[in-house]
Amino acid sequence: MGLESQLGDNIFTTTIDKFVNWGRKNSLWPMPFGTACCAIEMMATLASKFDLSRFGAEAIRFSPRQSDLLIVSGRISIKMMPVLKKIYDQMPDPKWVISMGACASTGGVFDTYTLVQGVDGFIPVDIYIPGCPPRPEDLIDAVIQIQRIVEQESVSPKRRRGAIAS
Amino acid sequence: MSEAQQPLAVQKVQEQYPDAILDVSDARGELTITVRKDVIYELMAFLKNDSELAYNFLADVTAVDYSLMEDVLMKYDYARFMVIYHLLSTEKKERLRVKVPVHEKALSIPSMTSIWKVANWLERETYDMFGITFEEHPDLRRILMPDDYEGHPLRKDYPLRGRGERETFNFEQQNA
Repeated sequence: MGLESQLGDNIFTTTIDKFVNWGRKNSLWPMPFGTACCAIEMMATLASKFDLSRFGAEAIRFSPRQSDLLIVSGRISIKMMPVLKKIYDQMPDPKWVISMGACASTGGVFDTYTLVQGVDGFIPVDIYIPGCPPRPEDLIDAVIQIQRIVEQESVSPKRRRGAIAS
Repeated sequence: MSEAQQPLAVQKVQEQYPDAILDVSDARGELTITVRKDVIYELMAFLKNDSELAYNFLADVTAVDYSLMEDVLMKYDYARFMVIYHLLSTEKKERLRVKVPVHEKALSIPSMTSIWKVANWLERETYDMFGITFEEHPDLRRILMPDDYEGHPLRKDYPLRGRGERETFNFEQQNA
């Protein structure tokens, strides 16, 4: 028996914001940008042992135009950064970004001529995950934190969370 | 090492190109010969086409900047770079490393693309990292670094953290 049979002719009242955010946060569509070993941990997170689908974010598509969560997992070189920026720009609003691991967040141990020292210099990042590479639990935690950020969104442009300039 | 004990590759090269070999060394069974630049193209073609040697596979092309190693510099008339070819004979199960001293004043070496096609990208990488020109290479462009990058980062005088490229790199012109 479904829940609706208990409701009878009753109705629920809620706000549009809460209703939309509830939908958004439980069906995040991640765009994986895996360039290094962090991507392996990301794959493990998606696989059956850790199972990111428990949090509604399992529909990985390599299509930025159908995604709302960018997971940058790995080193980003100065040649790759324009590609990442282009992918970020293609994602429709509202969108969120996870910077996974030390390299994506700060350049990590690769303090060299060719590596971008943190993607936040070029795209806005919502959640940073420390670790080299982080455990799948860390990525799950980051997704849950993204869900908390999504809860504070609003469909009204006036009440939008401080929109980050791109 | 007497003449009779020399490995077959050294014997045959000495026969074919007397005075071409500058040095022969053997490190745990891995044979390395250092040869002069002026005969390198013919010598490499010989190594591939000779039926007793048959080094048909070019495994790697790279270079080393010896500018900080005085003993190596003195040995090879202050040639700053050494271009290195790794050869493998899939037929004879033999490996050979060929090193060629290259002076900074004449920073070029014949391309091996007409002998082994795989040399194309390997030589592009060596050009990208060290700035060594490969003569008659069909497509000598950078392969790893962005097209508008300046400098050759694996040279010893190139700073590890670069010259600020990672902050000022060109965002627009790249093929993103």
